[in-house]
Amino acid sequence: MTRYVIRRLLQAIPLLFFISLLLFVLMRTASNPLVTMGGKRVPRPEDRERLARQLGLDKPLYVQYVYWLIGNDWAKIDMDGDGVAETPGDQKGVLRGEFGNSLVIRGKPAWTVIKERIPRTLLLMIPAEIIILIFSLVIGIFSALKQYTVTDHVITGISFVGYSMPIFFIALLSIQLFAIKFKEWGLPALPPNQMFDPQVGKTPSQIALHMVLPLLSLTFVSIAGYSRYVRSQMLETMSQDYIRTARAKGLPERMVLYVHALKNASLPLVTIVGLDIPLLLAGAVVTETIFAWQGMGFLFIDHVSRGDTPVIMAILMIVSVAVVVSQLLTDIVYAWLDPRIRYD
Amino acid sequence: MKDRIWKSVGLLIILTMLFAGLAACGPTPEPEVVVQTVVVEKEVEGETITVIETVEVEVTTQVEKEVVVTATPAPTSKVITFAWTQEPDYLNPYYTNMWFSTVLHQLYSCWAWEYDDENAAFPKLITEMPTMGNGGLSEDGTVITLNLRDDLVWSDGTPLTADDFVFTYEMIVNPANTVASVYPYDMLDSVEATDPQTVVMTFAEPFASWQANFWRGILPKHVMQPIFDAEGTIDEADSSLLGVGCGPYVVDTWESGSYIRLVKSPNYWLGEPKIEEIFFQFVPDDASQTASMIAGTADVGTFPPLSDVPTLEAGGLEIMVQSSGYAEGIFFNFGFGGSPAAADVNVRQAVAMAIDRDAINEDLLLGLTSAPETLWDPLEGGFWVSPEIEPWQYDPEAAKALLEDAGWIDTDDDGIREKDGERLSMVYGTTIREIRQDAQAVIQQMLRDVGIEVQIPSWDADLFFASYADGSPCALGEVDMMEWSDSTLFPDPDHYYWNCSELPNDESPWGANYFGCDEELDALFVEQLSIIDPEERAAVFHEITKIIHDKVYWLGMWDDPDYWIVSPRLTGVKFSGVSPLYNIMEWDVTE
Amino acid sequence: MEATAEGVVASLSGELNTVALSLRQMIWRRFRRHRMAMAGAVMLILLVAYCFGGALFVSEDYANFTDTKQRLQPPSREHPFGTDTVGRDILARTIYGGQISMLIGLSAATIEVVVGVLVGALAGYYGGILDSLLMRFTEAMFTIPQLFLLLVMAKFFANKFPAIHILGRTLSGSVVVIVIIIGITSWMYLARIVRADFLSLKEREFIVAAHTVGTRNLAIIARHILPNTVAPIIVAATLGVANAILSEAYISFLGLGVQPPTATWGNMLDRAYNYVATAPWMWIFPGLLIVLVVLSINFLGDGLRDALDPTTVT
Repeated sequence: MTRYVIRRLLQAIPLLFFISLLLFVLMRTASNPLVTMGGKRVPRPEDRERLARQLGLDKPLYVQYVYWLIGNDWAKIDMDGDGVAETPGDQKGVLRGEFGNSLVIRGKPAWTVIKERIPRTLLLMIPAEIIILIFSLVIGIFSALKQYTVTDHVITGISFVGYSMPIFFIALLSIQLFAIKFKEWGLPALPPNQMFDPQVGKTPSQIALHMVLPLLSLTFVSIAGYSRYVRSQMLETMSQDYIRTARAKGLPERMVLYVHALKNASLPLVTIVGLDIPLLLAGAVVTETIFAWQGMGFLFIDHVSRGDTPVIMAILMIVSVAVVVSQLLTDIVYAWLDPRIRYD
Repeated sequence: MKDRIWKSVGLLIILTMLFAGLAACGPTPEPEVVVQTVVVEKEVEGETITVIETVEVEVTTQVEKEVVVTATPAPTSKVITFAWTQEPDYLNPYYTNMWFSTVLHQLYSCWAWEYDDENAAFPKLITEMPTMGNGGLSEDGTVITLNLRDDLVWSDGTPLTADDFVFTYEMIVNPANTVASVYPYDMLDSVEATDPQTVVMTFAEPFASWQANFWRGILPKHVMQPIFDAEGTIDEADSSLLGVGCGPYVVDTWESGSYIRLVKSPNYWLGEPKIEEIFFQFVPDDASQTASMIAGTADVGTFPPLSDVPTLEAGGLEIMVQSSGYAEGIFFNFGFGGSPAAADVNVRQAVAMAIDRDAINEDLLLGLTSAPETLWDPLEGGFWVSPEIEPWQYDPEAAKALLEDAGWIDTDDDGIREKDGERLSMVYGTTIREIRQDAQAVIQQMLRDVGIEVQIPSWDADLFFASYADGSPCALGEVDMMEWSDSTLFPDPDHYYWNCSELPNDESPWGANYFGCDEELDALFVEQLSIIDPEERAAVFHEITKIIHDKVYWLGMWDDPDYWIVSPRLTGVKFSGVSPLYNIMEWDVTE
Repeated sequence: MEATAEGVVASLSGELNTVALSLRQMIWRRFRRHRMAMAGAVMLILLVAYCFGGALFVSEDYANFTDTKQRLQPPSREHPFGTDTVGRDILARTIYGGQISMLIGLSAATIEVVVGVLVGALAGYYGGILDSLLMRFTEAMFTIPQLFLLLVMAKFFANKFPAIHILGRTLSGSVVVIVIIIGITSWMYLARIVRADFLSLKEREFIVAAHTVGTRNLAIIARHILPNTVAPIIVAATLGVANAILSEAYISFLGLGVQPPTATWGNMLDRAYNYVATAPWMWIFPGLLIVLVVLSINFLGDGLRDALDPTTVT
């Protein structure tokens, strides 16, 4: 097992390296941070030239990538534009734990910009993942136990619809219904956006209240998909020999269901949850945009349009590492839950 | 078999639900709609008071949730809140040109001179505006002497002196600092403090537009010099400006993603403002801004979506419009590798006559704006604009006739004209922004009606305005008609977009002239910059504006002023288009 | 069950044509009995009829016709789905937008299948270094969440393609961009399936036999192995269409999608957020159509999966 983990980690290194190169080239060629530095109007040509030089954006792409990767404190930069590089660089580079400085807020490390946002995104994602797990298990099992009843079919139907919905459509519908219509009808309405009501302040109850609609949008699609999956796994497990044996031994039906069947049916769900992380992160981009939840997704959209390569790269690399790690964890948990599986 | 049947029943139920939903959404008009239509009726007929009441009730119930348990400031406390749709980026005034940042400068920072609601300059840190008469401006126009007031202090009690001016200048031009712009400080030879109250600025050449862009904020030397000495740059010193300033307020807290709170400065040399505290509350979008304005949780907002204006006015809020020198318009690529169509003055003139600019202003912009004839219209009541200009009138027939005469004729009957085998087809590009793209679609149709075809791509602003080296479509001359909102070097009339030296090429990849080189125009632009006397300079600008207008190098679409939404609870509110909150000292709260 | 699988192998290696026919019939029968799949197919046919048949009644010019005096009108007799911010008829735009959305779905899925099958087949068949290189690449593409990749690529390719003329219509070049970026960011899953199938199939007797009689590699891939992996490819392609339509909607919703005036169901939702309360008809109708088309394709894909692979439990 240890060997397997080490091998996977070693494999992840070239993988992340390749991803960073691909994304860096795409980002740097696809966007221009200098243009948006002037506010309402485009900066004067002289200022664009100077800022490009000071920020190292006039260097060839591969040099920029190398600086991003290993820093530029071993090289000199031409800050004053006389053609002679005289000022030593101060970037340390990603490999030495620095993502560089943001281009939108020059002088602010990209990591500082992101650091404030990560807890906000996690605040949405962790409860979302828990809700997804609990609800898809409960609904899936319930549906499997009630196989071919009206309830089962209604659930199946709804989950199909849910699975076919874009997250933003659910978000818009839920805003329309729970925030706008409810208010019209005089019912207790939910807040349609932001993390808390500024006039009340950042109290836990405020944040909880503001989390309801984003969570609904984030979890609905996943629950719809996974509950169907749990149902079919459950049905398949229940038709297995060992369940029949357990029943034949005279174990109580509850025991058979909840211990044997459930355990085996939930196994594949672990894999899915692992794969779900990227999906949730992407969902967060849309959800955070609609609900003005100022997390990483919101930051991503804001800064991608202003060409803030260091911040965008930092977000994407953090996400990629999260994905790699979560896949690895999934494998480990899977092996731990199912002793038949060995990785070597 | 049985399961299949039940499955289909389940499916049918779902489908019925879906279609029922569809049907329900279809014909039934939504309540809000009724509200909106009613508002329009109200505007037209100026009557039906009951209806207006419904509107208000609708609206308040709608936003009640945002108000909720609000600890709305007690009526007596003089706290006001701005609803701010974008979070500022820097406190240091020289690191940003973002409008949502610069508006705050009149509160915690200070300008040597500011501008009033007529956009006219008045002295602030100096005793009087330098002129030739008072000796502030040397005869040859190359030396400007500023006499500072002797009672200037920073909020921490340290005197504000000419040394701070010199320090500010040094920081801006120091290559270690990535300030947003060194213009116009790069025009200076030197800035010297001859005594604590005297600043002497020396230019190499006379610089006519000195008044426009100098000394928009002073940096506190006693705070920033130690940081600069330690780090070699002030790039990372922005937070040192928290709590220090030379305005009536200081920034007390900046909760990222949430709000900025300003409190009265303990040492403002012009006395105490009436408002105790000012909040800049970051709201995520226009919809929340409208909601909090109507709910009364914000007192000042900006740039309302035009479709919300009736709702806001019905809610008792005042919409104040202040010219900021900006105007939306189409720049024509008349000689920079564009299509032969755009290079033909007849085509450009036909375009000017084929676009119903009044209809666009009336319908898309709800009549709040009008179409300017030149980029100089918003400045000083048209002081710089030639009086001989005849506005372009919407006249599609004349446009067609002009095209026919110029040889653009639809020979193959496809609705689009041709000349010498060349289709009358142009690329009309712009940046991604709703009102702009809407206008594009409308204009495309208007032009097709006279036989001109336009493709209407749009780009993210950072790609659209990227440089020649980065392959921006504009800088490569690939776009024939480019629409965006721009101004002169407001409040100065100077402009560099049409200078021949600004044409981008391999040698100067940063050039800003995406339009072409008109020698006559170029000479005039160079000439005006060294004329210090305003009347003489205006005469040159009259020629400039006449050429740009008559040859249709630029076609105005709508004024793009600053819009402010102001709560009736505020009094004494005025805005300037240059230094917006210039009279914050006069602002007060009534109940 | 086993017999059927054997039947597939036997029939497709070209021995028993009669069996092949009956196999097809069997699949068809199984599919037909799958009520959800049939409902999906019917719904899909209706939607296609709506988009392409509807075009017979309203012209594209009408769909792009702006009338600023009629902006933001709620649904009425004249405009059953209301009008948008420049007074275009939303019903007409959903018809023409639907064509583009479906076109995007189909073409992106085609790219997805071509790339996915190519990568999967090469990796699975040749193995070795090629396999590990391709699979590392696949993994890398998998690791970046698709939406992030789409957004960055949409910016990268923005306006890189000229407008195209197809079926007498002019489409903005951004349609091509969207098709390409969706296609090249969604093939990874299919590549893995195809590779797994190839890995197991290439060891089978009939392939080994083909080798011994000297059949060339390409011929083996194309004629012997590929036909046996066709079932998962069809299913993946079907679901790929639905996913591509959804992806287009996501990119458009975030403002980087197909550019106006070309309508798609996705870009009609573009500014929907600003009108969530004031003009819900602007987003409800295109949104519902997206849900309906994706739903019916998912039904269809589910049915195909069951019909083509008799071992799945539903």
